[in-house]
Amino acid sequence: MVKAVKGTIIECDTSVKQIIIGLNEKYQFIIEDLDDTHVYIDTTYVEQLRHDIDEILNENTYKVEEKDNK
Amino acid sequence: MGTKRGASDDAESSSRRRREQGPMHDVDVPEMEEDDMNEDYSSMLNVPKHATMDVVSQSHNFQRDSVSKIFGNHDYTWLPLKQDHESRPLWITEDGHIILEGFSPIAEKAIDFLITIAEPVSRPSHIHEYRLTPYSLYAAVSVGLETEDIIEVLSRLSKVPVPESILGLIRDCTLSYGKVKLVLKHNRYFVESSHPEMLQKLLRDQVIREARVIGDDDPNNNGGLITGKAPNAKDLMIPGIKKDVPDPNKPGTSATGGQSEEEIFAVVGLDKDDDDIEPDDVHSFEIGSSSVEIVKKRCNELDYPMLEEYDFRNDTRNPNLEMDLKPITVIRPYQEKSLSKMFGNGRARSGIIVLPCGAGKTLVGITAACTVKKNTLVLCTSSVSVLQWKQQFLLWSNIKPHQIALFTADQKEKFLGASGIVISTYSMVANTRNRSHDAEKMMKFLRSQEWGFLLLDEVHVVPANMFRKVLTTIAAHAKLGLTATLVREDEKIDDLNFLIGPKLYEANWMDLASRGHIANVQCAEVWCPMTPAFYREYLRENSRKRALLYVMNPNKFQACQYLIRYHEERGDKIIVFSDNVYALVAYARKLEKPFIYGETSQQERVRILQNFQHNPQINTIFLSKVGDTSIDLPEATCLIQVSSHYGSRRQEAQRLGRILRAKRRNDEGFNAFFYSLVSKDTQEMYYSTKRQQFLIDQGYAFKVITNLDGMDQEQDLVYSTPAEQLSLLQSVLLAQESAADMNADVEHDDYDLTGNTVRRTGAGGGSILSHVGSSVAGGSNGARRSVGGLKSLSGGDQMAYIEYNKPVNVKDKDKDKNKGEHHALFKKYYNKK
Repeated sequence: MVKAVKGTIIECDTSVKQIIIGLNEKYQFIIEDLDDTHVYIDTTYVEQLRHDIDEILNENTYKVEEKDNK
Repeated sequence: MGTKRGASDDAESSSRRRREQGPMHDVDVPEMEEDDMNEDYSSMLNVPKHATMDVVSQSHNFQRDSVSKIFGNHDYTWLPLKQDHESRPLWITEDGHIILEGFSPIAEKAIDFLITIAEPVSRPSHIHEYRLTPYSLYAAVSVGLETEDIIEVLSRLSKVPVPESILGLIRDCTLSYGKVKLVLKHNRYFVESSHPEMLQKLLRDQVIREARVIGDDDPNNNGGLITGKAPNAKDLMIPGIKKDVPDPNKPGTSATGGQSEEEIFAVVGLDKDDDDIEPDDVHSFEIGSSSVEIVKKRCNELDYPMLEEYDFRNDTRNPNLEMDLKPITVIRPYQEKSLSKMFGNGRARSGIIVLPCGAGKTLVGITAACTVKKNTLVLCTSSVSVLQWKQQFLLWSNIKPHQIALFTADQKEKFLGASGIVISTYSMVANTRNRSHDAEKMMKFLRSQEWGFLLLDEVHVVPANMFRKVLTTIAAHAKLGLTATLVREDEKIDDLNFLIGPKLYEANWMDLASRGHIANVQCAEVWCPMTPAFYREYLRENSRKRALLYVMNPNKFQACQYLIRYHEERGDKIIVFSDNVYALVAYARKLEKPFIYGETSQQERVRILQNFQHNPQINTIFLSKVGDTSIDLPEATCLIQVSSHYGSRRQEAQRLGRILRAKRRNDEGFNAFFYSLVSKDTQEMYYSTKRQQFLIDQGYAFKVITNLDGMDQEQDLVYSTPAEQLSLLQSVLLAQESAADMNADVEHDDYDLTGNTVRRTGAGGGSILSHVGSSVAGGSNGARRSVGGLKSLSGGDQMAYIEYNKPVNVKDKDKDKNKGEHHALFKKYYNKK
């Protein structure tokens, strides 16, 4: 019996993939871990994921206004 | 003061935000690179407490077009351009920023002028940015510029009419500035002015009244004020500077035509040609030496900042010191310029001179001392630099060795004869506890002297309170601060304005590089991707352990190895810097290179450094932060930075300084290289960008290298197989508790360094403080290191170590606790993080 699951393939670099795997521990959205740069996830989480990754990556970006907020 | 500072900070930050929104696109210059306009931080250097007074952006009713919103308040399209704006190089905005076209034919002259009246903010090759601050205007007045001259020249150079707010600022600041002087006579401080009503006004202020000392023995006690003759100052010769040298850098052709150019700058020359015509009578009152700083600060708040001047030629009380520069000593043009700022009106002004590392700060200091020719006290940061200063004095000037006395933990001697030079460290002079008998005797001697000239080396590292102590215990007529990097992460730099004086001169790094005084440097930031396994662990760990993971990233190892190999083949001598000692040792062992860190013995250091200098087989050394400042290696031409102390801009600049004095800098087409290895997607990226800000403002461009060409083809790189990487990861994970701690220990040490201004240079320690400091930090450092070392050395089998981990954890936690209790200094540091 063939079972089909609807999802989205995410292509990313290796470090972002690690972030995704980290996030998965909380939300459990990964359907299949394909290889180093691809992962197959539940479509409903795509937006959430996009947002979370942006947030995590932004932590490492030096922005000028941060200095003001200190 | 606290509230005032807060207010001005707010204003500063809001103007910063505004600028961020609109990075000056009204400057219609095609060459402008985005990098060049990066936000500046050096403008934070000099935020006086009343910096933002009068500089308010007014709202203007003008036609806003579709892009106006991008620029926010920085839309200056409404500013009317003058008819002949193309031949004028400046824009002046309402909030005190001055934008200069660096390619304008008269730019060089304009720069000379701007550097006098404004703070350089950012100076890349084509567009410069300056900022008018009350302090910079104060400095301008102190070198003899008059209010109307400044306004005159500004409006001639500006493409747009000078805004009203700026005119107001200039008038407000310059009219009251420079009228009151602080003079040290016979070891007593006097506030002096040619306008008695101004002194009366100051005396009405309670703070100043309290500080006043009323002497009974003043013969001409005239209504509380002492009246005397004003000194007249003319024809001072600074040794080594030839008078009447035609300006070789005068641009040959100019769009405005020679005549108008002369006209424009006729007033700029004022400070050199004409001495101030001073009225004959000066009035003064005495203040107590302990309250000098309070009075100075109070006067700043009252908008009557005091100039500190020393009329050394008319000082007959202090014996002259016969010293002069040797005839062979040649002063470079920029050194001359900086000195002429200091001795502009024939007296010695107190202030700070900023020159890049390797540009001859020492010689500037020595020349200044030779000009003053009085008792001189030189304070530097470590006992090694004490020795270096002594050597330099003997090298450049004709002073006799017996006239130089050293005051360090090992040597306490006085000079022979009536006058001489004492060289010491900040901590020796500021220390109050545990002083030996000899040292106490020496201090008594220092305190009893009236010093003609106080030379402060590396002023940026000295914490304000230590400075205060030094400056209150030592009575000095003129003070000169020398530094390469007038930035501090704790924004304490403002205090220097009170303590020493205004910034007299700041050299343009790019300019010096293009003239061959310092080396040309190619800066690059190399992005090394984290390997998946390392990044997974990175995401799981807390921030302190993260540091170790991103430093030990195998890709970084490979990049480092590749760069070393590449540059060794080119014949470069390479220094690799790593702040993290664990990483330093791991890298150096893996790549089989010699390394030096805090615990390396003095003999070992000398041996390694000598080999590096003379042995063609040894082309690479690894240094921890001990090499940041005190090691002088003119052979080095390439620098690789593996790990660094978070976002310290000063460290970045100091490290760059290691290769600026490269011996081969004058070879045709020679470039020195500065690489910063950064692990992608980690905090390191953040710190790295922050660190670069200072150098970017000096005009350095950082290339980002995402992929090192040819690294793929390279054979036998370390950690190329997943298995090797995994074992590296395991050893990192196992070692990290102790290693991260060790890293922290080094940071403590660093804080200790900056806190007590003692560098662990190994040459017998600097002082009592350094012995205390290093025995605490060094002792525990050593013990903990051996624990980490054993584990990481045996590496692979983590099973065997699981049970060991627990006690180590507990122990480390305890140590952490103890550390917090031990050092109040460190607490502050951690609170800040």
